[in-house]
Amino acid sequence: MTHYSNGSFYNPAYHDSETLELDRRSARMPHHSNPYAQEEPPWQAGRTTAFSTVMGQRGHADHGSRMDPWEGRQEDSRRGQGSLPMGPLSTHPQSPPWQQTPHRSSFQIDSTAYHDASTLSRFPTTFSANMTMGLRGMTMRRMSMFANGDPSHLSITEVAIQNELEHEEQNLVKDLIACSTKDRIHGIRKLPMSYEEKKHIRSQVLAFKSSKKSRHLSCFADCSENVSLSFRRCGSSMALARQTLALWQGTMKEIGGRFGTSVLSYFLFLKSLLMLNIFSFLVNFAFITIPMFAYNHLPQIPANVTFRGLELLTGAGYFNYTVMYYGAYSPETIMGLLDYNMQLAYFFTIAAYMGLCGASIIYSMASSFKMNYVLSDPMAGGSWQLLCSWDFSVTNEKAVRQRKNNLRIQLKETMSEKIQRKGLTPAEKMKHFGIHLGAWFISTSLAFGCGSAIYFLSQYEQQQTADKDDWSLQHEAETLLVPFVVSLVNLVVPLFYSLFNKFELYSNQRRQIYALIVRNVILKMSILGILCYFWMNEVANKFSCWESMVGQALYRLVIVDFFFMMLGSFFGEFLSNVIGTRLIPRLGVPEFDVARNVLDLIYAQTLAWIGIYFSPLLPVIQIFKFLVLFYLKKVSLMQNCQPPLRVGRAAQMKTIFIALLFFPSFVGSLSLVAYTSWSLTPSKHCGPFQGLNNTFSVVELWITDLEGISASTWVVWIYHKVVRSEIFYFLVTIIILFITFIFWQVTQGRKLLIILLRQQIVNEGKDKTFLLEKLQTLQKSQPTQQSRSRIPKQQTKRRSGGSSTGVRSNSNAMVQTFLAGEQGSRGNYSRDVPVPSDISTSFQRIPIASDRQSSSDAPILAMQGRQRAEVHNYSTSSTLANPLVQVMQARQEHDRPSDGMDDGSSSMSGIMMQVMEARKRADEGDGMQARPPATESSVPTTSSALIQAMLARQQAQNEYDDGY
Amino acid sequence: MGNKQTIFTAQQLDAYQDCTYFTRKEILRLFFRYRDLAPQLVPLDYTDQPDVKLPYELIGSMPELKDNPFRQRIAEVFSEDGEGNMTLDDFLDMFSVLSEMAPRDLKAYYAFKIYDFNNDDFICKLDLVKTLNKLTRNELTEDEVRMVCEKVMDEADMDNDGRLSLEDFQHVIVRAPEFLRLLLFDFHKHN
Repeated sequence: MTHYSNGSFYNPAYHDSETLELDRRSARMPHHSNPYAQEEPPWQAGRTTAFSTVMGQRGHADHGSRMDPWEGRQEDSRRGQGSLPMGPLSTHPQSPPWQQTPHRSSFQIDSTAYHDASTLSRFPTTFSANMTMGLRGMTMRRMSMFANGDPSHLSITEVAIQNELEHEEQNLVKDLIACSTKDRIHGIRKLPMSYEEKKHIRSQVLAFKSSKKSRHLSCFADCSENVSLSFRRCGSSMALARQTLALWQGTMKEIGGRFGTSVLSYFLFLKSLLMLNIFSFLVNFAFITIPMFAYNHLPQIPANVTFRGLELLTGAGYFNYTVMYYGAYSPETIMGLLDYNMQLAYFFTIAAYMGLCGASIIYSMASSFKMNYVLSDPMAGGSWQLLCSWDFSVTNEKAVRQRKNNLRIQLKETMSEKIQRKGLTPAEKMKHFGIHLGAWFISTSLAFGCGSAIYFLSQYEQQQTADKDDWSLQHEAETLLVPFVVSLVNLVVPLFYSLFNKFELYSNQRRQIYALIVRNVILKMSILGILCYFWMNEVANKFSCWESMVGQALYRLVIVDFFFMMLGSFFGEFLSNVIGTRLIPRLGVPEFDVARNVLDLIYAQTLAWIGIYFSPLLPVIQIFKFLVLFYLKKVSLMQNCQPPLRVGRAAQMKTIFIALLFFPSFVGSLSLVAYTSWSLTPSKHCGPFQGLNNTFSVVELWITDLEGISASTWVVWIYHKVVRSEIFYFLVTIIILFITFIFWQVTQGRKLLIILLRQQIVNEGKDKTFLLEKLQTLQKSQPTQQSRSRIPKQQTKRRSGGSSTGVRSNSNAMVQTFLAGEQGSRGNYSRDVPVPSDISTSFQRIPIASDRQSSSDAPILAMQGRQRAEVHNYSTSSTLANPLVQVMQARQEHDRPSDGMDDGSSSMSGIMMQVMEARKRADEGDGMQARPPATESSVPTTSSALIQAMLARQQAQNEYDDGY
Repeated sequence: MGNKQTIFTAQQLDAYQDCTYFTRKEILRLFFRYRDLAPQLVPLDYTDQPDVKLPYELIGSMPELKDNPFRQRIAEVFSEDGEGNMTLDDFLDMFSVLSEMAPRDLKAYYAFKIYDFNNDDFICKLDLVKTLNKLTRNELTEDEVRMVCEKVMDEADMDNDGRLSLEDFQHVIVRAPEFLRLLLFDFHKHN
C-alpha cells in the first residue's frame, strides 16, 4: 500500500492543535502557488527528492547495497553536490568496510535514479488498483506538504515537489496509455483529484495517443478514433435511455431521501420481484398462450357458464375455461408453418423460467452475500455508527433532524448496553434462556397449530365441493373461506410474534429481528406446506381436472392475500398512526416495518411460483398486485410513517431477504413443481399432458421421436448419457463436493491469513508509537544538544554541498527522518531507506549507553535487535551484511574512553552527550580544520545537525582508527 | 434545455464525460442546476471557459446540501480553493463522486476527507468529536462524547496510533457494506 501519506507530519502536537484548521486555506492549493518559492541548495533538493521518492525504490536501494564499494564511491564523487552529506565518507580510499553500509547506499537514491526513464517499474504494470492508490498517495502527500503554512516548517522545496509531481504524473499517464479506452476512462474517473487535474491527465494521454497514432497510418487511425468516439457517444446515449426507462426512479429517490436506505430496500425488493413477474409473464405468454391464440385452439366455454363478476375474486367458474389455467391448454401438436408441440412448449417454458429465476436469484444472492457478509465483521457498531451511518441521500429537513435524534439515542443505547452486559448473573441468564425457550415453543406450536387447522378446514371445504361445471354463486363464494383464513392467520399471528418479542429480552437488536423473521418464515412455510400436501394428495385424486382446481386455489390465495396486504397497511400503518398521534401519543408515529413487509412479499412470490405450473398466466395478477402495492405502500409510508428509529444494517438485511426468497420460497416451489411433473399423474381429460403417466414422459416421447432422425442423435445421446444416467449425477455430485471442500479449505486459510495480517498491523502500530515516543524524547532533549553543539563544523558543511538552508526547523526534519524510517518499516520498500541510518544509529547508541549504565531498557534492545535483523535480511552481500554491527562495535570501542563522562546521565541524554562528544572529537581530530558553521546566526538545523553529528562521529572514528 | 452546442463544445462535453460518471444529458442538467443558483453570474456560454466561481453560501443552499450536517465540509473538500467556493468543474466533480456510479474506493477517499476536519490526513479525536457533534446536534454530554470517540478509536484504529488513517477508515468501510449507498446524493429528484 504505497498510498500512505508520506509527507504528513507525524508530530502529535500538530494534530492536537485546533488552530491548524485555519491552514486548510492552503490545503488544496495547487503546487505552483507555493509562496515560499526560493532557490534551495541543490543538495537539499536532492535530499527531499530522495525522501519523497523513497516509496517504491526498493529495487534501486537493493541494487545500491549490492554495489561494489569502489563503484559506489565513484558514483558518489561523480554526483558530487547532488548527493547527501554522506559523501565525504566515501572519498577515503582506504575506508574500512563499514563505510559501505546499507544506509549509506540507500542515500544514493537521488535525482539520477529519479529521472531515470525506466522508473516506470515503480508502478506495477497491473495498475488498476495501484495507480489510484499511488495517485492518492501523491495527492495526499501534496496536501500535507502544504497543509502547514508556516515557513519554518516548510522543508521541502518547491522544485522537488514539482519534480516529484511531474514524475508521478508521467507514470500515471504512461499507465493510462497502456490500457484500453474503457479502462482508461475508468482509470481517469477513479482518480481522486479535482476535475482540472483529471482533465489535464486526460489531455496528456490523448495527446500521446494521437501522436503515437500519427506515426502509423494516420488516416486509418483518424477513422478508428472517430468511430470509437462515435461508439462511445452512442454508448453514453444508450446509458441515458436506460436511465430514462428505469422504473420509479424519482419515487425511489424521494423515499430514500426521506426514509433512508433501509426502507428503500423494501421498495427495491418489490421492484425486482415485479420485474421477475413481468419476465415470467412475457415468457409464458409468448411461448404458451400466443400459440394457442394463433392457431385458434381456444378452449370451449360451456354455454351455461357466464361471466358473473365474482370470478375476479374466486377465479372459478368462467375463468376455469380460459387460458388462465392449465386445463384450458390443448395437448395437440399445432400444425402450421412449423410444428409446434404444445406439450413440449409447456414443459420447457416452465422449466426454463424456473431455471432462469433460480440462476438470477443465486447470482444476486451470491454477490450480495459476498458484499455484505464475507467482508463485514460483527462489530459492536461504535465506529460504524459514527463514521458510516450517515445517509447522505437524506435531504429532508425533518428527516435529518430525526436522524440526528435517532443516532444520538442509538449511540447512548450502545454505551448503556456495553455497561449493562457486564452485570448478568447466571440466574438472569437462565431466566432469559427460559423465556426464549418458551417463546420459541409457543410460536412453533402456534405455527403448526395453524397449519393443521387449515388442513382440516380445507378437507371440510373439499367435501362440500362437487366436481361439476356450474357452481352457484354462494358455492363459489364459499371457496373463499380457506384463503381468507390463511391470510387472516398470516396477518394476525405475526402480531403475536411481535408481542413475544416485547417480553423477550434480547441482548442485541439484530438477534431480535432474526428471531422474528425465523418465526414468521416457519409460520408461512408450514401453512403453505400443509396446503401443498393437501393439493398433491387429496385434490389430485378427486377432481377430473385437478391442476385447474389447484390453480384456482392459488389464484384465490393470491387475490385474498392482496386484499389483506392492503388491509395490513391500513391497520398496521394508518390506524396506528391515528392512534399514535390522536389517542395515545405515547406510542408515537409508527415506523415502517421492513421485515414484516418483505416477508409478505416473499410469501406472495412463493404463491406465484407454485402457481406457475397450474396457472401460467398467474404472473399477470401478480404484476397487477405488485403495481398497486407499490403505490399503496408509498402513499401509506409518506402519510403515516416516520423514518426508522434505529439505523439498522440494511445491506445485511437485504442479503437475508434474498436468501429467504431463495431458500424456503424458491426451492420449495421448485421442488413442488418438480414433484408434480415427475410423480403425479396429469388429469386424464384436460390440459396439455392428458393421457400421460407423468409430465416428464413428454420428454421421453420426444426423444423416442428424435431417435428416428439422424441429425439429432446428439440430443438422444445427451438424454441417455446425461439426463437419465445415475453415474453422471454421481460424478457431478462428487466433483461439486470436492470443489466445495477445496474452497472451504481456502477460506479457512484466508481467515488465518487475515488474523495474521491484523496482528501485523497492530504490531506495526506498536512499532510506530514506540518510535514516536523515542522521537519525542529526542526532540525534548534537543535544546540541550543545540546549546552544546555550537561548535562549528565548516568542513562537513562544505563537503556536504553548500550553504546553510536557513529555514529548516529541526522538528520537521526529525519528523521527516522518522517518516522515512517508517516508510522503511512499512515493509513495502527497502528497509534501508535513506534516513533510518540516522535513527538506527541513534538506536544503536542507546543500548550501548544503557548497557554501560545497566539501566535495562528492554524495548530498546528489542528494537535494536529488530533493526539489526532487518539489516541482515535486506543486505545481500555477506561482507556488507553486518557493517552496521561493525559500526556499532567500532563505536563502542571508540566510546569506551568516554565512559566516565556518560555515567551520570540518563540513557537518552547519554546519546546526546555521545553525539556531542563525537563531534567534539571530530573537531579535535580535524585539528586545524576549519570550524563547521553551526553558529546560531545561520540557524543550524538540528536534524541535519544530527546527521552531521553522525558524520562527524564517523569521521572522528576514521581518524581515531588512522591514529592507531 | 436550450441549445446544447452553445454551452459546451463537443470536446468539452467529451472531457466531462470521460472525467465524471455522468452522461451528456446529466452534465447539462447539472450545468443548469449550477446556473440556477446564480443566473446572473453564470453565463450560458461555457465554450471559452469563463472563470466563474459560486460562493459557498449559494452552493450550501442547494437542496442536497441544505440539510446535510456536513455541507460545509463537503463544499470545502470538493472546491479547488478549499473554502467551499465552487467552479462548475468542482460542482460536477462533487456530484460525480457522490453519484451512484462512483466506486467505493473513491467514495471512501472523499468521505475520509470530509471527516478529516483539520486536513491533516488523519481522523484524530478532535475530528471525531466534531463529527459526533454534527451528527447529534451537540446533545451528548462531554463524557458521552468522549466515550463514543474512545470506542470508535478502539474499534477502528488498527495500528493503535491514536488516530485513523485512510487505511483504518477503509477497514471500517469494508465492514459496512451499505456505505456505498449511504454516501450518495442524487440530483435527479430535484428536477
